[in-house]
Amino acid sequence: MKCPPFDYHRATGVADAVATLDAAGDEGKILAGGQSLVPVLALRMARPAVLVDINHVPGLSSLEVRGDTLHLGALVRHLTLAEQDQHPLLAEAARWIGHTAIRSRGTVAGSLAHADPSAELPSVLLACDGAVQVAGPGATRRVGAADLFVGALQTDLGDAEMITEVELPVPDGWGFSEFARRHGDFAVVSAVATRFGDRIRVVIGGVAGVPHLVSPPDSTPDLLTVSGAVQDDRVAEIADAAARGVEPASDLHGSADHRRALTREVVRRAVAQLAGTPTSDRTPVPA
Amino acid sequence: MTTTSPAPEPTASGTAVRRKEDARLLTGRGRYVSDLTLPRMRHVAFVRSPLAHAHITSVDVSEALETDGVSAVFTGDHPALASVSLRAQSGLPGYVETDQPPLARGKVRFAGEAVAAVVADDRYHAEDGAEGVDVEYEPLSPQVCAWASPEEITDPVHDEAPDNVLLSRTFRAGDVEAALAEAAVVVDREVTTNRHGGNPIECRAGVARYEIADRKLTFWSGTQVPYIVRTQLAGLLDLPEGNIRVIAPDVGGGFGVKAVLYPEDVALCLMAMAMPGVALKWVEDRVEHLLSATHAREHRYVLRAGFAADGELLAVKADAWCNAGAYSVYPWTAGIEPLMAGGLLTGPYKLAHYECTVRGVTTNTSPSGPYRGVARPSTVFAMEALMDSGARALEMDPIALRRRNLILPADIPYTMPSRLVDDSGAYEACLDQALETFGLEGWRAEQQRRRAGGGKPLGIGIGIYNELTGLGRAASAGPRMAFRTGHDACTVRINPDGAVTVFSGVTSQGQGLETTMAQVVADALGVTYDAVEVRIGDTDESLWGFGAFSSRQAVIGGGAAHLAGEHVRGKALALAAALKEAPVEDLDLRGGEVYMAGQAKSIISLAEVARVAYLQSDRLPEGFEPGLEGTKFYDPIRGAFAAGVQLGALEFDPATGEIGILSWVCVEDAGRIVHPVIVDGQIAGSIAQGIGGAMYEHLVYDEAGNLTTGTLLDYLMPTSGEIPELTIGHVSTPAANPTGVRGVGEGGTLAPNAVVAGAVADALGVEVDDLPVTPASVWTLLQGVTP
Ligand SMILES: Cc1cc2nc3c(=O)[nH]c(=O)nc-3n(C[C@H](O)[C@H](O)[C@H](O)COP(=O)(O)OP(=O)(O)OC[C@H]3O[C@@H](n4cnc5c(N)ncnc54)[C@H](O)[C@@H]3O)c2cc1C
Repeated sequence: MKCPPFDYHRATGVADAVATLDAAGDEGKILAGGQSLVPVLALRMARPAVLVDINHVPGLSSLEVRGDTLHLGALVRHLTLAEQDQHPLLAEAARWIGHTAIRSRGTVAGSLAHADPSAELPSVLLACDGAVQVAGPGATRRVGAADLFVGALQTDLGDAEMITEVELPVPDGWGFSEFARRHGDFAVVSAVATRFGDRIRVVIGGVAGVPHLVSPPDSTPDLLTVSGAVQDDRVAEIADAAARGVEPASDLHGSADHRRALTREVVRRAVAQLAGTPTSDRTPVPA
Repeated sequence: MTTTSPAPEPTASGTAVRRKEDARLLTGRGRYVSDLTLPRMRHVAFVRSPLAHAHITSVDVSEALETDGVSAVFTGDHPALASVSLRAQSGLPGYVETDQPPLARGKVRFAGEAVAAVVADDRYHAEDGAEGVDVEYEPLSPQVCAWASPEEITDPVHDEAPDNVLLSRTFRAGDVEAALAEAAVVVDREVTTNRHGGNPIECRAGVARYEIADRKLTFWSGTQVPYIVRTQLAGLLDLPEGNIRVIAPDVGGGFGVKAVLYPEDVALCLMAMAMPGVALKWVEDRVEHLLSATHAREHRYVLRAGFAADGELLAVKADAWCNAGAYSVYPWTAGIEPLMAGGLLTGPYKLAHYECTVRGVTTNTSPSGPYRGVARPSTVFAMEALMDSGARALEMDPIALRRRNLILPADIPYTMPSRLVDDSGAYEACLDQALETFGLEGWRAEQQRRRAGGGKPLGIGIGIYNELTGLGRAASAGPRMAFRTGHDACTVRINPDGAVTVFSGVTSQGQGLETTMAQVVADALGVTYDAVEVRIGDTDESLWGFGAFSSRQAVIGGGAAHLAGEHVRGKALALAAALKEAPVEDLDLRGGEVYMAGQAKSIISLAEVARVAYLQSDRLPEGFEPGLEGTKFYDPIRGAFAAGVQLGALEFDPATGEIGILSWVCVEDAGRIVHPVIVDGQIAGSIAQGIGGAMYEHLVYDEAGNLTTGTLLDYLMPTSGEIPELTIGHVSTPAANPTGVRGVGEGGTLAPNAVVAGAVADALGVEVDDLPVTPASVWTLLQGVTP
């Protein structure tokens, strides 16, 4: 479990990182927190010729709300995500990532770029309809969550492209639920529910190669709560529909049927939590 | 003249003295094999077979040899290794002896078997070189299941055993068929237990260096058994035993995995002999460990039991298969698990009619070896499953049924149907205390409340067990091997300054043996705990010890320490008596001072006595030799049984299968307790490992013999987050050995399988036949009961 040989380049800026990656063709890799990449290297499942360390690139650790959106520099660590209070859903989700040691190094962009189908942050990005800012050899571009994730561990990013910033709209209401085998494990199945105005989005992790978006067709939030009380049967309907809509695979940690049952339950919990979230003053929900 | 004697010195035993090793281990100053750096040291990486069963048709090392930093590549056919085989021996009739090469020769028998070894400047280069070794294989049909029908075996693992059975033995007592015929109820169970392993934090590690001028080999090894390693190496390497020095420095956990001499160890030593003067280091990584260190506990039991109407257990009939893996583990043999299973299946229950056939079956999987609790986590699960089935069939309370059958103090010594002699009888005392601590009535009420009110189903599970510890020559661990592991030695040396150095044959992998030995010697000798220093783990320093396994060291090593301490105390008092012209029978040694009966003031210090013994021979009385030390062996002849009971209350989420542990109680009989915190630590750690095996840890092979749980991402070990608050209680009935202790290292692992599976059955009314119990398995079981 030792990495194969590679050249190491400590990038001084975004342009330097991109230029180095560009020169390396498909042989370069960004090193951020290293919490996914280093194990992959140690297992010799990837053997990039050049590692471009972006940890010393200035200006990638900012965190600020502009308008209704939280803007995060690529290097913001999971620990910071868990501790901030501008985006409570993000904070909750980040607390489910690994253990303290992992959270103190892992980065928001690293998790999105790694695109593990069971990871928390890709689901949150999709549930918030967020996007990433990407620097490349040509111009910079903005990639929406729906386009970013292409398959398990696969993104739309080119070999010399780098995420510089993550844009995460702050939802008006949210719910998060995860089923994992142990504390700190990747999810077996997880669900993120968000409400923006009267639109509800539910994203399920762990059931497909990419986070799975379910948008309950007629699920306006006023149907979820009546006089402030959560409508359990309405929540159950959404959960049942979500479970019917997934085609999970079987693996060591659960059969397809079990995953479907888990889907129903985590969606139920997430949507129930969403429905129970006090509504913000900006989008009052009719009683 | 004063007549008041001073208050007796407090004894070191029985108190939670500061652990001797903590200053080192808790401040990052431990000295492990991987910390060792020697001049001209090189590093080794093994090339491992990707296939479970195949002929090796060719090995091309040319590219590896050209790799940067690589200095040598060894294969199984290298002259240094080609004639050496590890051969686990047993005198049991019908046992099939087989060879295990240090590096595969001609054929590979499991995925992960070492085929070649690359020596390089560092481990990175060694792994680069390993990638350059080109091995061609011709696949054979693999067999991963130990209970496959013989027709399914097309290519036997070893030619010597066409049916893959390396060992089979039937235990018999009474007349099982007749007893079953008379039973009021007969119950049948078929259970399997999950393969898992010890997984110490420190994986295997070794450094070997050979000096050609004096033909001396030094082997630093993270082993639990340095003396066994030395003896076995002497034979395998054809060196005089005195020319081999095995050093086990600090070792980061063992759990039995490191009580084995591995082919990699032997290969490392042979390669070092082929490269004299060059120290070779191999530090195993986790991937190698999961793949190729010994596994354990993959068993199947087909069981039948008969009970009388009043609940008396009349007969047990059992067939057991233990997956021995690809090789008969060295030197313990493929008998280690099956023989323990057959010998202890009936546990703490009285039984006259017993028939049990056990088999050790070789397969194309990593070899099985000793793992904390050897076989008994599986047998306790099997036996308690029978008890629960019996209780259901008789409509009897499951705890009352167990109580009806327990071996009681009046039955002691009790000869089990396997002819092992139980000296404990503390089962009922443990059960009573455990039930009270647990609050059974309260949990039963909560269970009813939930059944009526619709809360998560709650179940109560129980496991009652006996741990056979500190085995002497009459009950020695292992199946009729060429050595009997009943004794250990200890040397107690008073230094010229009066302080004490103990050279003990015990070894420690974190369980505080330096502390325990110091406590025992301090009390036996009559010095303070702080005056005693303990040396362990170096075969050139201490005389002899078999090492850490079978919960033996506190009993046997502790017994030797006690005897040696007493012996040297006698010597010191004799010398003091002669020096002071006092009658020796009136003298007492306490806290390093010699007292005369009835006097409060010491008449001479141990330091003064020692000074005379070493430095002032002019003062030595007639008939006294210089020096002040002594060595004693101890063998308890039989063993000490340690009773234990665990109870758990668990809840199950019907929607997900999630398992919540609400309460866990363990009451054990550790005999006289030397160090309360160490004892509780052993119990807590072993319960945690037991829970790991019951609910998380599972080494899974696919049909082709690939390990699908090759990293800790898929092989789930419990973290502190998964282990509930444990309530531990003690019933201390001293054993008949010098210190009164019973072994405590393994017992905790024995019950969790039974507790967790029993709780599922109790909560959901379904029988659990297969382990581990996971959310997925609970959920699947629930689909059968709730339409
Ligand atoms: C024991 C353990 C448990 C874990 N548990 C969880 C868990 O429960 N949930 C979870 O979500 N994750 C978990 N992780 C992974 C963790 O979240 C990682 O931090 C994350 O997946 C990757 O982030 P990183 O900054 O460490 O990226 P790195 O490991 O440095 O890189 C990961 C990949 O992203 C690329 N990359 C990194 N930064 C950028 C960028 N700015 N632009 C483009 N590409 C980039 C790299 O080239 C590489 O391909 C766990 C990790 C460990 C070791």
